[in-house]
Amino acid sequence: MTTSIMLKLAAGVAIGAVLPFLTDDYTQYIVNICLVYIVSAVGLNLVLGYAGQLSFAHSAFMGIGAYATGVLMVKVGMAFLPALILGGVIAALVGLVVGLPAVRVRGLYLALVTIALMYAVSWVLLHWTDVTFGANGLNVPTPSVFGFTLATEHDRYLVVFPIAVAMVALAGMIVTSKLGRAFVMVRDIELAAACNGLNVMLVKAQAFAISAFFAGIAGGLFAVCVGFLVPHGFGLVSMITQFAMVLLGGLGSITGAIIGAVFISLLPELLRNAQWAQEIAYGVLMILVIVFMPNGIVGLLRQRGLLARTAMINPLTDKLPKTPSPSPAVPTSGVFFATAANRAGR
Amino acid sequence: MELLIYVVAGAANGCLYALMALGLVLIYKTQSFVPFVNGEFFAAGAFIGLLCFKSLGLPYWAALVAGILGGGLIGIIVERLTIRPIAESHHLSLVMVTAAASITLQGLARLQWGDDLYTFPSLFGAASISIFGAPIALQNLSIILVAAVLAGMFFLLFGFTPIGKKMRALSQNQIGAQIIGINTDGVRGVCWLLSGAIGGAAGVLAGPITLLYPDMGSGILMKGFAAAILGGLSSIPGSIVGGILIGILEVLTGAYLSSAIIEVSSFIIIMLVLLVRPTGLFGQKSVMRV
Repeated sequence: MTTSIMLKLAAGVAIGAVLPFLTDDYTQYIVNICLVYIVSAVGLNLVLGYAGQLSFAHSAFMGIGAYATGVLMVKVGMAFLPALILGGVIAALVGLVVGLPAVRVRGLYLALVTIALMYAVSWVLLHWTDVTFGANGLNVPTPSVFGFTLATEHDRYLVVFPIAVAMVALAGMIVTSKLGRAFVMVRDIELAAACNGLNVMLVKAQAFAISAFFAGIAGGLFAVCVGFLVPHGFGLVSMITQFAMVLLGGLGSITGAIIGAVFISLLPELLRNAQWAQEIAYGVLMILVIVFMPNGIVGLLRQRGLLARTAMINPLTDKLPKTPSPSPAVPTSGVFFATAANRAGR
Repeated sequence: MELLIYVVAGAANGCLYALMALGLVLIYKTQSFVPFVNGEFFAAGAFIGLLCFKSLGLPYWAALVAGILGGGLIGIIVERLTIRPIAESHHLSLVMVTAAASITLQGLARLQWGDDLYTFPSLFGAASISIFGAPIALQNLSIILVAAVLAGMFFLLFGFTPIGKKMRALSQNQIGAQIIGINTDGVRGVCWLLSGAIGGAAGVLAGPITLLYPDMGSGILMKGFAAAILGGLSSIPGSIVGGILIGILEVLTGAYLSSAIIEVSSFIIIMLVLLVRPTGLFGQKSVMRV
């Protein structure tokens, strides 16, 4: 953890401490949902922006976490916090299983495997009616923590906010660690990562598992914030929404994921009750961002000097040479490998 | 007897999957990414067909032509607005931009048609002819026939015309194609036109055997992916075989195992094929160059 991350976290905590005094019940609900999506988008950015693996299964992991938390509370009678953590772990284990094929299939094929998995998970949630109640939906009971019942939105905020801060801090620690640098190197040039002694398969599986853990925790928080789960809530629309968050904010940046999550979570409030308006708004926004602002809001702020310029690169726009240049490769590749390894988002 | 009925019904669905897969493979071959927007070409074709056939009272063949033209037009628009500005970017951005185009088109369709389900009048009713004593629905036979004609036209175009030759050049080596003076942007535009037209045709053909709603495309897109992957993603004959195989397998699992499995069968096929044989049935082995 660097000082700049510490500073940003402190600013976030300060905003978060003041916020509940300014909100009414409904606005507080929106704030809670924002926090849920921040956790999820930060997790998606780890696998997509840092490790460069196209994971369409993120909303499915969120669904697994949400349903696991809900079912553990309803059927097993577990308390909220253990159920939440167990839900995150279950999602992470599924993520690990998904991450393993990433060795054999890569790129677009991996995207198709994960999108198939997303549909398969939706199908299981819909048809495993004994556990998930299928299309009737799952009513999540009012959670209680250490004997306090979290009845109002403000009560829930007291639990959701610290967990969200902890998860963002965890993400900050991961991307500045050795593992985070390994993610970036695997993303930028897999072969060089393997040549430098990284176990590429293990790194990818870890990226999937960690991001799935974030999605699972976000799902568990979503379950208690919304109180009612339906299988199609974790399908393609949820996936596209989360991709829009990460792309809009900026790939490979935790701050970007947070900005994107806040923006996109507030957008439906402006376009209430009209699915077509939401779809067109998301779609057009994503097209505009990808075409005109490929580094997202964070990239724009960095360009204008409002955020520190770091060595963040966008895996979608910054092209690395596909084959080594024909000129003598020794000195270039030395520099090249060093930059690839140093490109962790600091 | 019973089996023959199932196989023909499956092959009719499979022909539609094969047409979808054809559109996907064409883009994959010339631009090395799989588009996520082709389901919307299918939905557009179906709705344009409905408009012409039911509301305007045109004959079915005219509705089919209108669906093909409409799908092609949307294909060109998508290419010009979203693909061409970033044609040289990483394939992940191209995939995401097509996903964004897809969700935009779904929103536009929902704006026009709402969340209702529409039905396309059946062409032949329950009419059937008897083959080896089994009653085969004319509806299914007509789909197979038209799809075969369309696929045949596509083969001729891809294999034996100057523009087809340019497409093949592009699929072999993009830079090489540019160097010898091929207008690669233009050829890609034609590919999107064809991809949209094929999707639109599949939509009109599917009309009488399905329900029409704004996000009807996402389901068949997945079937198209499954078909294309089973066939190897870069092989045009493979995608046809893959599509028909998946269509037949689906109907057989529905008939003999459980109808609930039909919905997930294509996803299971995608996962199994990619895990066991990552390059599909007909795909070339990809070699990693160092």
